[in-house]
Amino acid sequence: MTPETLFQIANPIPLIGWAMLALSPLIPRLSQLVAGLIIPLMMAVLYTALVLANFAGSEGDFTSLTGVQALFANPFNLLAGWVHYLAFDLFVGAWIARTARAEGIAHLFVLPCLFLTLMLGPAGFLLFSALRAIPAMHRTGATP
Amino acid sequence: MTATLTRPLHQPSRIWKDAPAFSALTFMIVAALIPLLAAMTLDIRQFQGDSVWLKPVKFHLALAIYLGTLVFFARFMPDATRASRRWRIYVAVVCTAIIAELIWVGGAASFGTASHFNDATPAMAALYAIMGLAAIILTSASLVMGISIGRNRATALPPALHLSIALGLILTFVLTVIVAGTMSSGTGHFIGTPLTDARLPIMGWSREVGDLRASHFFATHALHAVPAAGWIASRTLAPRAATLAVWLAGAAYAGLVIALFAQALMGLPVIA
Repeated sequence: MTPETLFQIANPIPLIGWAMLALSPLIPRLSQLVAGLIIPLMMAVLYTALVLANFAGSEGDFTSLTGVQALFANPFNLLAGWVHYLAFDLFVGAWIARTARAEGIAHLFVLPCLFLTLMLGPAGFLLFSALRAIPAMHRTGATP
Repeated sequence: MTATLTRPLHQPSRIWKDAPAFSALTFMIVAALIPLLAAMTLDIRQFQGDSVWLKPVKFHLALAIYLGTLVFFARFMPDATRASRRWRIYVAVVCTAIIAELIWVGGAASFGTASHFNDATPAMAALYAIMGLAAIILTSASLVMGISIGRNRATALPPALHLSIALGLILTFVLTVIVAGTMSSGTGHFIGTPLTDARLPIMGWSREVGDLRASHFFATHALHAVPAAGWIASRTLAPRAATLAVWLAGAAYAGLVIALFAQALMGLPVIA
């Protein structure tokens, strides 16, 4: 399979997890199972396989930006890097939904954090951490 | 005769108590097959006509079966031995050897190069020699367990079955070291130069020239074949006849391995 085909197959799968996280107040356990475990594990298998199959013969290294650039010049490594995002962004999204629920943060505020994490990863984590630092965000007695 | 087993045989959870490290490592080796098989489907590189990942997959399967069998037999060792400090240290050494072997074989595959018989660079040649030692260490577990089980008088097993387990384990070590030792001291697993790619299905042994892997396979499976014979004998024959049958089965199995070994050394295939 070409890297492009693999990308087309892998890329939409995490969206199922994101959709479930958006609806997580209705399906708290299922959304955690799918977005927090099953899909990240699928991406982890794909990532590991890509790395096993391609890393050893690749140019580049991790010690300089030029080295990293050389590494990602190989489309299979570029795909592996993207799958890394897909896996970990969703995993963080599941953690955000879980933490918000445990701490009684209203889902309305969680939704933009999830969207930002989907699109821009760390920026969503940053927004959620900022919201979490506001005491008034936490509803009392709303722990699961 | 019906054996009264004081310890139930069919109790999956007991493996974690009998051989925790071997059980955990067996599980990890099997789990690692998931990314390995995925890599095999993604990676188009070949080595000697097969996917570069076929050899690691075979090694994972073989070592999982070997270790899983040791896990099962561990219950017949004396409890005091299994609880001892020196056994736990030995188990750690064996596990380290197995992990090193798998990383070496998988690592060489990821670079698309040979693991065994690789003397292309001094580093790979040195690694091959060290891995020979690791292979002996991991195979020695069957010898150590065979002796320990053979000496244990509290197994509550029928004598013939008891003997067959000990004998099978010991034969695995002796026969494997003879066959694999000879194979590793040569330049490859073939005796002769194959011209076509005629091979047996699944096992991949040559149908043209001698292939030492066949006798290695049967040597290592003594720990299954001989106890299987002992199990049947202990259920069908009187105790003394069953014990004799186990000795004969062990001798016949060793004879089979030696015959396959000699056949390969003469440059002849198992099946033409």
